[in-house]
Amino acid sequence: MERLAGQFANRAVRSVFIYTREAHPGEHYRHHRSMDDKRRNARAFVEHSKVRRQVLLDDLEGTAHRAYGLLPNMTWIVGRGGLIQYKSAWTSAADVADALEGALDFQANRAKNQWALFYSERSAWSTRDQDRFHEGLVRAGPQAVADYERMLKASGASRNAPSPDIGPRVPGNFYKTEEESGKK
Amino acid sequence: MDQAQYNYSEFVASPNEFLEFAEHAPKATMRAPSFPLEDLATGETVEMKDLWKTGIAVIEFGSFT
Repeated sequence: MERLAGQFANRAVRSVFIYTREAHPGEHYRHHRSMDDKRRNARAFVEHSKVRRQVLLDDLEGTAHRAYGLLPNMTWIVGRGGLIQYKSAWTSAADVADALEGALDFQANRAKNQWALFYSERSAWSTRDQDRFHEGLVRAGPQAVADYERMLKASGASRNAPSPDIGPRVPGNFYKTEEESGKK
Repeated sequence: MDQAQYNYSEFVASPNEFLEFAEHAPKATMRAPSFPLEDLATGETVEMKDLWKTGIAVIEFGSFT
């Protein structure tokens, strides 16, 4: 996402990162009990991940995070004037880039081409880098690793791929087989 | 949801959070809600609506963990 921000910066696209609650708190990066806790963890994140985008802190109650749906790593694209043009449960730089090109095209050519806006949904995909994700849990601390492993154990059966066509079932993939839907 | 519930100390998966997001969070074509945020670098307050005042805004939510 850092690279994408740089690629689109000269096209009047402003990229920001809103810092929320800790998704997987552990002994090294605990949950926030104060804004100073939040600032400390956010600064560690900026330094570790070499974030160059503007980082904005939500309040301690998560007011903005809750209003936008509360997911741990979602991305939104908002057009000039406040029109939501993209809403994604997870962040995939490739998918965001694709949506951004569409949003820029719409913004530049809507009036000329007399385009009319309408609502649409589609699925998206990304590679799941489990090694990198696990590194993040280890960095957070043993508790973060244990909490995640406990969740996997509890939900293991339901996370199996429903079919080769669908692939691994991750949160945000709502597909159910006919059997799961109770049709057989 | 109070402050302590929001900032949970132990991760526990919420089975319906993604469905809630799909069904109840604002949708594409709606007007984006705006809230005040704190700029980590300067400490100044930034209104979200200023992010999309002159162009397109890409907004990623997340944390270190």
